[in-house]
Parts: sequence; structure tokens; C-alpha cells
Amino acid sequence: MRLSPSFNRSLWVFHVNSGSCNGCDIEIVATLCPRYDPERFGIKLVGSPRHADVLLVTGPVTRQMRDRVKRVYEQMAAPKVVMCVGACGQSGGVFYESYNLDGPIDQVIPVDVYVPGCAPRPEAIIYGVVQAIAKLERLEKEVKS
Amino acid sequence: MIRLPSVPMVLRQLFKKPATNFFPAKNLPPSITGFLEAVSEGKASINPPVPTPDKYRGKIVYDRDSCIGCKICIRVCPANAIEFIPDTKRVRIWVTQCIFCAQCNDVCPKGSLHMSSDFLLATEDRFNENLIVE
Repeated sequence: MRLSPSFNRSLWVFHVNSGSCNGCDIEIVATLCPRYDPERFGIKLVGSPRHADVLLVTGPVTRQMRDRVKRVYEQMAAPKVVMCVGACGQSGGVFYESYNLDGPIDQVIPVDVYVPGCAPRPEAIIYGVVQAIAKLERLEKEVKS
Repeated sequence: MIRLPSVPMVLRQLFKKPATNFFPAKNLPPSITGFLEAVSEGKASINPPVPTPDKYRGKIVYDRDSCIGCKICIRVCPANAIEFIPDTKRVRIWVTQCIFCAQCNDVCPKGSLHMSSDFLLATEDRFNENLIVE
């Protein structure tokens, strides 16, 4: 896996709601507002997973969304990063042991960065992106050496 | 005479600072790893995030010594984030499961649980030591 310089500089994000309560989605929209302005880092939402570098998943994976989340993940071109925003995606949160859940997100697709919080503050999400870029740089260094 | 109320506004906006909060840096540094190392060495500094409001509910803080192991927090937790350890008669809090509702803080008879204003918790490992409060 070789990362192109453009991948390094600006991450395009595709957002999937896999059964979230919409709280995290609202915080993601707040993150993209001029108050925090992640577009100065080149981060922006795109409309298709085929254009995206980062998959932003919110919510626990419901049984209906399991195949859709998998399909979106497979449509993305490698190299790709998966960020899980919110408590539900990491452990189930308030929906733990619910009858219609197919487990937290890491039982469906591999997750790279977790952002805890219910819902996380916009800065927490930006900090998660920083962690994701740091991980990419580390992987790139491992590939080169 | 034509009144131009927008002219003073435009002039004022020209010299105003942008409303954007430049967290963690104004622009993307050439290397994030290098930037984080420089921050830990004290050469660079992270722009602070927007200040949290009073009584902000961030990561939970547990005072192990004053806890009496009454399990009321476990009963009241809506997300089942608190686990009882019978050997030590103390609790373990999983921050990834926590929904930051602070009901356990209100119900604790000894006041052993508090919410800090710490919210930058993103990690690559959800079983990180930082995300388990004991």
C-alpha cells in the first residue's frame, strides 16, 4: 500500500448512519461549520463512497444496516480509514444487548479510530481525525522501511 | 443623498478576526506525527479548543477510596457502563460505553463520582487504559 501525496494532504469523508439516534450526525454537521472549519485541513463530506478516503460511521449497526455498511465499506477504494463516532458504535451504548443489533461496528468492518462521547464535541471529532492521519503516517513509514 | 449602511460594516469586517477556532493548528502541518512530537517536546503548541461550559460532563473521575461499593450507580446507569468487582468491592467504568448522563454522580451517596471537562478521548484501541476508569 503506497499513499499518494494527495491522500496525505486532504481526507474526503463519507458519512454512514448505521442506526444512530442522529445526535452524532448533528455534531458532525457542527464540525463542518465555519466555527471549526475542517476544510482548512482539506476535510470535506462527499456524496459517494467511491470518492472517499475516510468512512465515518455513527450508531450501532442494526440488522437492516449490516449489509449496507459492509457494501459501502467495500465500495471505497483502498487505502481507506474507518472512524467510529459515538458511544453506540464502540460498545452498543444505550442500545446494548438490543434484539435488533448486529453488534458494535468492529464486528462488521475493521475500525481504525474510535471517538468516544455521546455525542462527542466537534473538537473531539477533529482530534479523532488527527489520530487517523497520525496512524496513516505511521503505516506509510512501516511500508517504506 | 444615498445612504450606504453597509460600508461601515464592510470596513469593520475587513479588520475583524475570523470566527473559526483554530483547533489543533491553523493549517495542516507537513507531518502530524512530527507536529505531535514537537508539542510533547514543548516546541509547538496546540491551539486550545472552544472552552467547555460550566458543569460540562466529560470523562468520569472515580474516587476509589471514598467508594463504599453500594452498587447504586450500577443500578441507575442506563448504558450498563459500570461493572462491579466483587473481590475489591469497587467498580470499573467503561468510558466507551458511558453516555455521560451523570446520573451516577447525582445518586452516589458518598460523592465518589465526578465528571471532568476532559473530552479529547479519541484512540485507536477501545480497550485503552485511558478509557477504563478504576
